[in-house]
Amino acid sequence: MSTVRGHALADCELRSFDRSAVARCPVQRPDRYRALEALPADMPRIARGSGVSYVGASFAEGSVVQDLRAFDRLLAFDDTRGLLTVEAGACIGDVVRFALSRGWLLPVVPGHARATIGGCIAADVHGKNPARDGTFRRHVVALEVFDPVHGWVAANAHDEVQRFAACFAGFGLPGVIAQATLRLVRAPAAYAVRRMPVANLVEAAEALRAHAGAPVLYGWHDGRARHFGRGVIRFGLESQDAVRARPLDDLPVAVPPWRFAAWNRAGIAVLDNWIHQRWCRPGSSTVDVASALFPLNGARAYYAGFGAAGFAEAQWLIAHARHADFVAALTDLVARLRPRISLIASKLFAGHSEGLSFDGDGIAYAIQCPDPRAAGQRGFLEALADLAIAHGGLPNLIKDSTLDAATVRRAWPDFEARRAALRAFDPAGLQQSELTRRIGL
Amino acid sequence: MTAIVIGASSGLGRALATELARRGRSLLLVASDERDLDALARDLGLRFGVDCGVLAIDLAGAPDPGARVLAALDPQASVDALLLVAGHSRADDDFGLGAGAIGQLIAINLHAPLAIAHALLPRLLEARGVLVGFGSIAAARGRARNVVYATAKRGLESFFESLRQRHRPRELRVQFHRLGFLRSNLTWGLRLPLPAAEPDAVARRVVDALDRGSFARYEPRHWALVAFVLRRLPWFLFRRMKD
Repeated sequence: MSTVRGHALADCELRSFDRSAVARCPVQRPDRYRALEALPADMPRIARGSGVSYVGASFAEGSVVQDLRAFDRLLAFDDTRGLLTVEAGACIGDVVRFALSRGWLLPVVPGHARATIGGCIAADVHGKNPARDGTFRRHVVALEVFDPVHGWVAANAHDEVQRFAACFAGFGLPGVIAQATLRLVRAPAAYAVRRMPVANLVEAAEALRAHAGAPVLYGWHDGRARHFGRGVIRFGLESQDAVRARPLDDLPVAVPPWRFAAWNRAGIAVLDNWIHQRWCRPGSSTVDVASALFPLNGARAYYAGFGAAGFAEAQWLIAHARHADFVAALTDLVARLRPRISLIASKLFAGHSEGLSFDGDGIAYAIQCPDPRAAGQRGFLEALADLAIAHGGLPNLIKDSTLDAATVRRAWPDFEARRAALRAFDPAGLQQSELTRRIGL
Repeated sequence: MTAIVIGASSGLGRALATELARRGRSLLLVASDERDLDALARDLGLRFGVDCGVLAIDLAGAPDPGARVLAALDPQASVDALLLVAGHSRADDDFGLGAGAIGQLIAINLHAPLAIAHALLPRLLEARGVLVGFGSIAAARGRARNVVYATAKRGLESFFESLRQRHRPRELRVQFHRLGFLRSNLTWGLRLPLPAAEPDAVARRVVDALDRGSFARYEPRHWALVAFVLRRLPWFLFRRMKD
């Protein structure tokens, strides 16, 4: 440890949001640029924002964690072109609120308002309708990256083009993302959100495809065998009706688990029945933009209810051509194994996967399972991975802590080539996280 | 009205700059690294719509930091607050430092604040402003840790006492905050015997007090009790203190 305070490392226990990964790590909290640059160039490290990834993407035992939360400043705003330059530790919720106060909107935001801009880039997150707005990469025009060996690099569509592309779903390998310039769009006053009940996932897919142009579009579904796929598609259209709303506080960085696990079979039945009664009826409401973008702000009890055992979210993207077969096989699998599924979320995609991005042309299902280390749950998640891969499915690396190196390579036949393209920016393997180690990145 | 924050780029200094900007104050931000200052000034300008000037200056090496600060000011600007929050400590400040390191600690913690305060005094008197200094619980009683740092902070406290003796509050408010542990990069990774305060909360109280006359006090206030006990601890017990 340096004798000069400010470059100090603290030994901290860090945990992924799904509580699957935990490690004691040396943590540096640079609050000045020179402290960010101060680590020896050969020291293994990984950048960390708010640490709200479901998986251990921002820490690993023996890897120095560079906590970038002090780098949260807004640097420049071009009000005529909608270009906002921010430091990478800025929380997406703060950025969205600033943009909205000026009449602008960042179209792609993850559900957790405390995710940082750097984290959104490193995971290339998707928002409320990836089929319309793509993933985060579509809304970033420039980056400032600190490479431990080569120093500061300005990357954009014209300079350092390959590094610029690699930063999205690069999971930190192309260097520490320090600043980003975001392209905003004009914000509506609110969203008119309509609810369309669906009886199963095939109906859900049809509803999603029918509303591909909506700025907000996703579904919630029952995961129990008897009602599998029953749920609601929510689609929001831009509205100029002003809404007087008091948005909820942002979901905390860490939600303390309840002392008991609420999402056993009885708890899930209560939850699903409540969702069915409350949300799965036709209707509409006008919702302020911030509340529509961050639905997880109201989900504190849901996450606490997983208890200390945590949860796993398996998110798979299935091409349209294989979708019906996949849904039939998944319905059979759930009927046979009867896993505990607390919630299924559906989204429509219409892009293509670059690098290790979670993107493609099809429908994605995020399947949340409590207590993923229990034998029955683990068996289901393994069978789900086999099933999805058999149907050409693509996994979301930033969500699913159950993926291992072999599974990822089966899902991406050209994984090694994609890995090599990323590692070219970090040949010494300095950037290491629990995620990169687990999947052999 | 312009407020000057010396040591504005991180920790309590950044929190003070943010709190002052939140209340609409124009600022001159002074610290060692232009990149950090520039980022902070742009952020405060965007969020709060205030004017922020910046001055990058190495307090350890500048022969006349007061002249540099004066030169960076608009001659017409009314300066009504000077907050001298810059500070520097080292984990090896335990009789193991060489002359260079000692000079650096004295320069940042004592010489620079004195020089800047002297240079800005006429402007502050003209505006009937406020001069704010920051000491440390480390200076409550000399120990075998933070040796040079505590010496400098005790010297700084003496300087502020002299200022209070010289100027009535209606001419110049002289405020001195003796800080307990703060949750900042200065204490990151250290095992502290008592909880550390959040810089944002301390900054709010410091800014709230800017109009409240002259004083010297502990911040957070319960550290007064800690200092009281520390000073009255029998010598044979005090000698055995490690933290």
